[in-house]
Amino acid sequence: MTLLDFLSPSRCEPGTTASPLRRALADADSAVVQDLWPDGKLEVRGDLGLVVPRAGEELVQLTPRRGYLLTQDDPADVVARLREVGLLAYDATGALAGIAIQGEQLMRRLTDLDLDELPAAGPLLSRVTAVILRDEGERFRVYVPQELAHDVAVAVLDAAAGLANTEVRLKPDPSESEGGEVA
Amino acid sequence: MRIAQQSGERIDRDRPVVFRFGETRIGGYEGDTFGSALYAAGLRTFSRSFKYHRTRGLYCCTGHCPNCMMTVDGVPNVRVCVEPLREGAHVKEQNVWGKLDLDVLSITDKVGGPFTPVGFYYRTMIRPRRAWPLYEKVLRNLAGLGRVDERGGHSRRYDVEHRRARVLVVGGSDAGRAAALAAAREGPGVVLVDEGPRRVSELTGVEVLTPARALGIWEGGLVPVDCGTVLYRYRAERIIVATGALEQPIVFPGNDLVGVMLPSAARRLIRDFSIQPGERAVVLGADEPGLEVADDLQEAGVAVQRVVDLRETPVRELEAQRRRGRVRALLVDGEEVACDLVVASGGRQPAYSLLAQAGARVEFDSELGVFVPTTLPPGVEAVGTVTGEGLQKIDVRPKHAGRGKCFVCICEDVTTKDVKRAIAEGFDSIELAKRYTTVTMGPCQGKLCQLASIRLYAQEVRAYESDLGTTTARPPWSPVEMGLLAGRHFEPARRTSLHFRHEEAGARMQWAGPWKRPYAYGERPEDEVRAVHESLGVIDVSTLGKILVEGPEAAALLERLYPNRFADLRPGRIRYGVLTSDGGRIMDDGTIGRLSEELYYVTTTSTGADSVTAWFEWWNAVWGYEAEIVNVTGALAALNLAGPQAREALQRLTEDDVSDEALKYLDAKPLEVAGIPCLALRIGFVGELGYELHCPSPAAEFLWDRLVGDGARPFGLEPQRILRLEKGHVIVGQDTDSESNLLSAAMSWLPKLDKDDFVGKLAVEHFAEREPLERLVGFVMEDGVVPAEGAQIVIEGYPAGRITSARRSEAVGSVIGLAWLPVERADDGTRFEVRVDRRLLGGRVKSGPFYDVDGKRMRS
Repeated sequence: MTLLDFLSPSRCEPGTTASPLRRALADADSAVVQDLWPDGKLEVRGDLGLVVPRAGEELVQLTPRRGYLLTQDDPADVVARLREVGLLAYDATGALAGIAIQGEQLMRRLTDLDLDELPAAGPLLSRVTAVILRDEGERFRVYVPQELAHDVAVAVLDAAAGLANTEVRLKPDPSESEGGEVA
Repeated sequence: MRIAQQSGERIDRDRPVVFRFGETRIGGYEGDTFGSALYAAGLRTFSRSFKYHRTRGLYCCTGHCPNCMMTVDGVPNVRVCVEPLREGAHVKEQNVWGKLDLDVLSITDKVGGPFTPVGFYYRTMIRPRRAWPLYEKVLRNLAGLGRVDERGGHSRRYDVEHRRARVLVVGGSDAGRAAALAAAREGPGVVLVDEGPRRVSELTGVEVLTPARALGIWEGGLVPVDCGTVLYRYRAERIIVATGALEQPIVFPGNDLVGVMLPSAARRLIRDFSIQPGERAVVLGADEPGLEVADDLQEAGVAVQRVVDLRETPVRELEAQRRRGRVRALLVDGEEVACDLVVASGGRQPAYSLLAQAGARVEFDSELGVFVPTTLPPGVEAVGTVTGEGLQKIDVRPKHAGRGKCFVCICEDVTTKDVKRAIAEGFDSIELAKRYTTVTMGPCQGKLCQLASIRLYAQEVRAYESDLGTTTARPPWSPVEMGLLAGRHFEPARRTSLHFRHEEAGARMQWAGPWKRPYAYGERPEDEVRAVHESLGVIDVSTLGKILVEGPEAAALLERLYPNRFADLRPGRIRYGVLTSDGGRIMDDGTIGRLSEELYYVTTTSTGADSVTAWFEWWNAVWGYEAEIVNVTGALAALNLAGPQAREALQRLTEDDVSDEALKYLDAKPLEVAGIPCLALRIGFVGELGYELHCPSPAAEFLWDRLVGDGARPFGLEPQRILRLEKGHVIVGQDTDSESNLLSAAMSWLPKLDKDDFVGKLAVEHFAEREPLERLVGFVMEDGVVPAEGAQIVIEGYPAGRITSARRSEAVGSVIGLAWLPVERADDGTRFEVRVDRRLLGGRVKSGPFYDVDGKRMRS
């Protein structure tokens, strides 16, 4: 057992851990939102140029010396690997909850970040700071503090439900107006 | 009544729609608005006016004026002239005392004028001052714009959608559409916003939003667009305003009567909804579009009695005469023309408000007789008649002669007499007069009254309109639902990983800063206290801030941040620490464990994690120590296992040695508990043998279940408050405030003034040089009454201190607490009095812990 193992869910015995989103997303449509538990998340400090992401890893740089490394490997092992090359790394898997969200319009109802300029860290639902990434097409990954994740997920689902009830007509029926000014 | 199908009518006669108006079922067609359906069903009086409760009917049919505001499905102030009809809806009148056709408060129209002149509420009802709440209630009930359903909160879903556009065109006029198409030819990202209700044809390469209203233009090209229950927040690189021009009313006596309307209203009733707006009409116009409506009326079967071209026929006197609130005739220079419809327009005024909000300069164009935008801010353009292009000169002065009221502002019931009175009272600036008379401050936001009021003003003060200027245009340009501005209701709570376990156990949850925490699990928190004293309890302390400080200079950083020493702390040991501000005041407290030579684990108060992290980072940016500061609060859950049986319980769940020799008081040690890697901190905030187990958040429920299953009784915040008070432990922020320092808070042992430096050292040295004025002390109440926290301490009849914490302790057998007292009254045993429910009750100072004075239990 190493000093920082107490940060790592992966060091817990199997069957002892649970997602912070399992209640909120229990009945969610997986085509719209998915729980990204238990994707590995590491907070990395130091010269991020030393980070060489492997297959299944993705570095989200927040500042020149601070970033998140997302990994499909055992995060505790990756922490050890990064520390060997002189970086300080911390398992943040338990700190951040992850939600995959399908749909650009839904994302536009959640954040004012430019969705063409991701990844970025910024506001989600105005009140929560999130790390947001864009995958192929209209799939997004959102990572938020786990202690806020339940409420965030509930709000995301509600926003998704609201899309179905949008009253505005984005593509009106073709019909010629009569000319003249419309005040 | 409906007329024959019009080309391009909006209604679908094959799709009837039924709704309720009051208790009456009304039928309309798909494509109707509530207003058109009601009009077609014969309704003419749609509302009662704001102040005089005069009858009001459809006037503009563009959603600008207040005349058709009704309550639809509980939502007040809906402009039914533009609200699409929907099946099963319930429409009710508003601001009516009695019936729409018989409102008892219309008596104010008959007799109230002299008693309720403009601004009367500023001069009357001000004495006695205490009665103002009553006056205010009466006034608000008499005058109003609908009633918000206070129980209707969160009944609708409102959303905000953030969008970006290369070019945003506001207004679907010919010019707006042409501008949008031209922009679309240059590339994608073109959006056109139009408020409708007329449709805008599909434009190649342009995203069209309708019905939608741009509410304003802010810095950075931000344009919020109201689309009903969705607010689109556009960021646009280029904004093109094509809002066109607004038909202006003519000011004459009786100009608000039912049956007087703008050409736009008549035209829309005929063309869009195939409704004959009246039987006999008089048309008054000051430009071609205003006069051309006569042709529409005739085609719709309306007998046009007279058409008055105000450009050619100067009219000296004009007065609408009424019968039962409706127009029955129009007097034109003394000649009476019988009619039930007066379609009157004083020309068109560019709808420049959005441009003005964006920073455009607006000036009076004496050639056209209207205000036009002249200089535009960068990134904002204007096209079409909003620039004044294509408008004809208008010069329709108010016609005051006649007996009836002559309205300048139909929203606020402001008459020409009101404006003249304001001028006579000295409100000689248009901005001041606006505030006094409230003209332009009603629902239309000046769309229909600004030009008329400025003209009247200019006429009365004998000035040029160009010298008066306009009042300030402020967003929102169009009325908007409060819910839409508030947006999604989202007040996220910080929930620990055990939140739902607490709820399942029946805990009463309470807010603790941004967190939700269990107050207690049963009706008697004392039972939970007893369990901790006698056997075993467990509390969720995951809300504690948790910060890792790591690096070769981590010790030096902490040594300089805290008043006490941490460089000499041995790995595996813990020390209590209090952070002081630059001014030497107490900021936060917690424990600091040294996990290795270069790694510290710092805990903070539950509300202090973010601020302490920021404080550490700020100072380290100043000093530049080689140390990283990482907030791991969310990553870790923390459970405090406390009570005489804590060691045995812990030992049953771990193979590691947790004996007193292996895990001493104030030791920090990694343990594997029930298969979960934990950092165990042996500390005793609640005064009993205790272990804080810090573990990965996702494993918290499992560990909690094991501990509770093994006999630990959950206890909440309230029992914890009693337990810590029995030990005399201070809660920073409750027992201290922003003025408290270590010496006055009875922690003079903590700062090490022989250190080279620490944050606030100069101030602490300064405090040490002089006797503190007050001191935080423990106390025992004499007669068993628990004073409120914050209760006043009285000495010799004068306020002298305050209670910060007080609880009844069964273990101590009395009511105990902490209080700030003058230092000369802070000695052990000194008596004082506390004000409780207007009584003065006695208490005595008691120094030191109340329970387990020598601390044997937590060190056992």
